[in-house]
Amino acid sequence: MFALLLCMMLLPWANASRCETTAAVATSSATSEPLIAALGQPAPARTAFAEARFLKVLDKPLVVSGELAWLGGDQLQRRVDHPNPETASIANGEVTLQRAGKAARTFSLSHAPQLQVLLDSFVALLSGDGSRLQQAFNISQTGEASGAWTLTLLPRDAKVAKAVASIVVDGYGKQSRCMQMQEADGDLAIDLLGSLVEKMPAQPTRESLQALCQGAH
Amino acid sequence: MGLRGRVTLLVLWLLVLAGLGWMVSQRLKVSTDLRSFMPAPTTPDQRLLMEQVGEGPGSRLLLLAISGRSDAQLAALSQGLVAALKADKRYSQVLNGGFDLDALDPKLLPYRYLLSPTLDTQPLDEAYLTDQLQQRLDDLSSPGASLLKNLLPRDPTLEVLKLAERWAPPKSPELREGVWFSPQHEALLVVQTAAAGFDPEAQARTIGGIEQAFHALPGSAGAHLDLSGPGYFSMVIGAQTQHQAEWIGRISTVGFIVLLLLAYRSISSLLLGALPIASAALAGIAALTLAFPDVHGITLAFGFTLLGVAQEYPIRVLSHRRAGEDAVQSVRALWPLLLTAIASACIAYLAFYASGVNGLKQLAVFTIVGLLVAGFSTRYLLPHLLPRKVRDVADLPWLVRARDVVDRLPRPRWIPLVVALAIVLMLAFAPGPFWQNNLAALTPLPQDMLLHDARLREALGAPDVRYLLVLQAPTEQGVLALSEALQPMVDALVAKHAVDGLELPSRYLPSVAVQRARQQKLPDDDALKKALTDALQGMPFQPNLFQPFLDDVATVRRLPPLTPALYAQSPLGQRLASMLVQRDGHWLGLGTISGLHDVAAVQALGDQSGGTVRLLDLKAASESLVVDYRTWILQALLAAAVLLICTISFALRSLRRAWHVLAPMTLATLLVLAVERVAGIEISLFHLVALILAGGLGLHYALFFERDTGDPAEQRRTLHATLVCVLSALLVFGMLAWATIPVLRAIGLTVSLGVAFHFCLSILMAPHRPFQNPHASKD
Repeated sequence: MFALLLCMMLLPWANASRCETTAAVATSSATSEPLIAALGQPAPARTAFAEARFLKVLDKPLVVSGELAWLGGDQLQRRVDHPNPETASIANGEVTLQRAGKAARTFSLSHAPQLQVLLDSFVALLSGDGSRLQQAFNISQTGEASGAWTLTLLPRDAKVAKAVASIVVDGYGKQSRCMQMQEADGDLAIDLLGSLVEKMPAQPTRESLQALCQGAH
Repeated sequence: MGLRGRVTLLVLWLLVLAGLGWMVSQRLKVSTDLRSFMPAPTTPDQRLLMEQVGEGPGSRLLLLAISGRSDAQLAALSQGLVAALKADKRYSQVLNGGFDLDALDPKLLPYRYLLSPTLDTQPLDEAYLTDQLQQRLDDLSSPGASLLKNLLPRDPTLEVLKLAERWAPPKSPELREGVWFSPQHEALLVVQTAAAGFDPEAQARTIGGIEQAFHALPGSAGAHLDLSGPGYFSMVIGAQTQHQAEWIGRISTVGFIVLLLLAYRSISSLLLGALPIASAALAGIAALTLAFPDVHGITLAFGFTLLGVAQEYPIRVLSHRRAGEDAVQSVRALWPLLLTAIASACIAYLAFYASGVNGLKQLAVFTIVGLLVAGFSTRYLLPHLLPRKVRDVADLPWLVRARDVVDRLPRPRWIPLVVALAIVLMLAFAPGPFWQNNLAALTPLPQDMLLHDARLREALGAPDVRYLLVLQAPTEQGVLALSEALQPMVDALVAKHAVDGLELPSRYLPSVAVQRARQQKLPDDDALKKALTDALQGMPFQPNLFQPFLDDVATVRRLPPLTPALYAQSPLGQRLASMLVQRDGHWLGLGTISGLHDVAAVQALGDQSGGTVRLLDLKAASESLVVDYRTWILQALLAAAVLLICTISFALRSLRRAWHVLAPMTLATLLVLAVERVAGIEISLFHLVALILAGGLGLHYALFFERDTGDPAEQRRTLHATLVCVLSALLVFGMLAWATIPVLRAIGLTVSLGVAFHFCLSILMAPHRPFQNPHASKD
C-alpha cells in the first residue's frame, strides 16, 4: 500500500511543463490519462510522509512518520523515523522488515495481494503509464489538473478488492498532498505527503485528516 | 474317441479353464510389497530396512519443480498446488516455502504454547508481554500489517509464526515471490505422500492426483511440472519395464506362432497345443490364491518365466507324431521320458519350497502345480483332441539331412574336459565383482532423471534416502526424550557442516515431560490477565481485544499434553508418525538426514549413545539382504541339484546314462555363468532364476538326445522337437536380450545363452550311437 502512496508522494517533482499540458477537468478513466501521464518520474526520488492508521483493533490511530523512496524498477523503501525506527524494503517480490536490534523479517508480496498489485501500479504511475494502471484499477478523477483534484482508484481484481476497497489520492496542481487507503474491513490509512506532513495533528481523526487533504492549499 | 467325444472333451476342458479363470479373477490379490518376496531379515538393520522399505519418511517424499512460465506465474501455480493438495488425505505434508500460518491444525492451535520453545526461556510475564505488544504495534504500522491483523487477538506473541519457522526445512532454497525457487527458475515444492514409496500402484494414484490438481489450476497451460523422488521412480520403472516387456512379448508371440505354424502346418494343432500351458498358468495361480492370502507380482513374473519349460511338452508330442498313428499312441511312447523330465523339474522346485522364503515358496507352488497340470493334460487330454491326420516330420528332407549332420559330428570324449577348463579359466580371469548385490542396478533410472533428482534434492535440502539416524527407546516418549537430548549435539554437527540437516522427531513434537514443564510455566488465569492488563497500560489496543489469547492459554493449561496418537489426526502428526515406529516392545525414532558430508562424525553420535542411537545405511542393509537372499537361492539350488541327480539316476536306472544327461546340463549352466562373467556381467538374482529355467530346458534336450530308440525316424523326430523348442526359446528370450532394461536383458541373455549351450553340449556329449553310419542303418 505504501507503494502507491510513495508514487503519489513523488508527484511534487512532476515535470512542470508536462503538467501544463494536463487536461483541465476529467471525470472518467479515459480522461485522467493526461494527469497520470504527467506523473512520470526519474528514479531515485524521495519524500517525507506522515501516516495515521485507523484500525479496528486499536481505540486510537497509529501515527508514524519518515521518508519514502523509489529506488528505480520495482524497488521501494519506506523508512519510519518516529516513533520507532524501522525500514521496509520491497525488492524482487519480497518485503523485508528491519528494526534496530532485531533480525530482519522477510515475507512475500504474494501474501499481501494489495501490496503486490499496488507495487505494479506504482511502477505504471511513475512511468506515466496510464494504460498499465488501468489494467489494475477503475480510475476516476474529479477536479482540474491545474487546481485541486482527486483520483479514486478501485481495484479490478476481485481478490484484491476483498482486501482493498479503494485508494483516494488528493492533490493540487502538480502536487499530490494526501493518500487514503480504505481497506475492505473498515480499516483506513491516511498519509499526508510532502509539505502537509507538518500539519499532522497530535490527536488525528478521520474527519480532521480528510478535511486537511481536501482543504487548505 | 469319436468326434462327439472330442467336442465334449474340448468343451469340458474349456469350461474348467473358464471356471479357473473366474476363480482367479475373484480371488487373486497381487501384492507389490517387496517385503513379501524378501527373505526373513536376520540383523536389526535388515529388519528395520524391511519395515522401512518405502515407508520411511525420506522415501515418501516427492520433489516437484514447476517451470516454463514467468516467476510470478510459477509462484501462483506453486501456491495454487499447495492449496489444492493440502486438503487431500493422500498427502501428509505439502511445502513450497510459503509463509504458512496454517501449519498447525486449527483444532490444535492452543497447543502452540507447548510445542514452541518460547516458554523454556521466557515466561509470559508483564515485561515480555509489554515488549511483544509494542512490537505488534510496530507491525501494525508496517507494510506487513494486513498479515497479522487477524492473528493478533489470539496470538499476540506470534507463536504460530515461530512454529512455522521451526518446521521449515533446515536448508531452504532461495525464496522468490514468496515460494522456493531453484537457480534454474523452477518453483520448488516438497510433498510427503501417505502412500509408501515403493508401492508403485499407490504412488501412481498419488502422483496422478498431483498432476490432476496441477492441470486444473488456472494458468497451468504452458507450464511444466517435473517430479522426482523414490515414489515417482518406482512408478516410472514399473511402467517402463511393463511397457518394454509387453512390446517384446507381442513381437515374440507373433514369431512363436509363425514358427509353430511353419513347423506343424496346422492351426488346430497350434491352438490345441496352447491349452496345456494355459491350464498350467491358470491352475498355478489358482493354487496360489488358495494357499496364500496374496500373490507377489515378482512371483508371477518369475513363475511365468519358469513355466516356459511346460511349452515343450505339447511341442514334443506334436513333433513325435507318426504318420497314421493315433496321437495317444505317440504320447504313450514318449511319456516315460516326459514324466522323468516333469518329475525331476518338480522335485527340484521342491527345494525352493523348503527355502522358507515366502516369495520362493509361492514360486515353487506356482511352478510345480503348473508343470504337473501341463504335463498331465499333455498326456491325458491333449492327444484325444489332436487331429488324426498328421504330417510325419520324420520324412522331411531337410530334417534327414540335419540329422545326418548331427550324427556325423565328432563327439570326442575330451569335450567335457575342454569345456570345464574353459569355464575355470573364464571365471578366473573375469573382470569385476562376481555378484551384483545392488538390486537397484537392475532397474536403473535414466541418468538425466538421477541428475535431476540430485539437483532438486540439493536445492531443497531434502533428506537423503540412503541414511537414517535411528533412535531406540522402550517407549514412544523415551524416543522423543532421547531426540530432545540429542538435539544440541545434532545442532553442533550441522554447525560443523558434517551434515546439512538432520531432522529429529522432537522437532515436530516435544516429549510429554517437556510439554508438562512448559505447561507449568504458563501463568494461571488471574496472573496472566493482570500481566496483560499491566502491559496494555498506555497502549492503544481495544479493551478485551486479547480475550481469545487468554482463553487459549487457559485451555492449554488444562489440556492433556499432545501425544503422537492425538497429533496423528492432523497432517503434521502424520509427518511425525512416519518418524516413529513401534517394534517388538520398543520404539524407534527415525531422523532424516540431508547432505551427509562426514559419515564418521554422525556415526560417532551413535558410539557415544551406548547403543540407543545409530546411523543406518539403508544401501548397505539392502545389499546384505540381497546377499542373504542369494545364499537362500544357492542353497535351494544345491539341494535341487542333489534331488535332480537322484531322480534322474533312479529314472534311468543307470549312473552312466544319468551322467550323459546331467553332465552337459551342468557344464552348459556353468558355461553361461562363465561367459557372462567374462563379458563383465555381475550375476544377480534374476540371472540365477534365468539359469534355473535354462537348466530345465537343457534337461529336456539332454534327456531326449540321450534316449536311444534305435529308430532313426524317431531320432529325427527328437531332433525336430528339440529344434522347435530351441528356436522358440531363442526367439522369445533372444528378443528379451535386446531389451534396454537390465532386468529383462539379464533374463533374456541368460536363457538364450543357456538354450544354445545346452543344445550344443547335449548333442556333443550324447552317447555314441551304435550305428555310426546313418546310411547303414537305413538298410
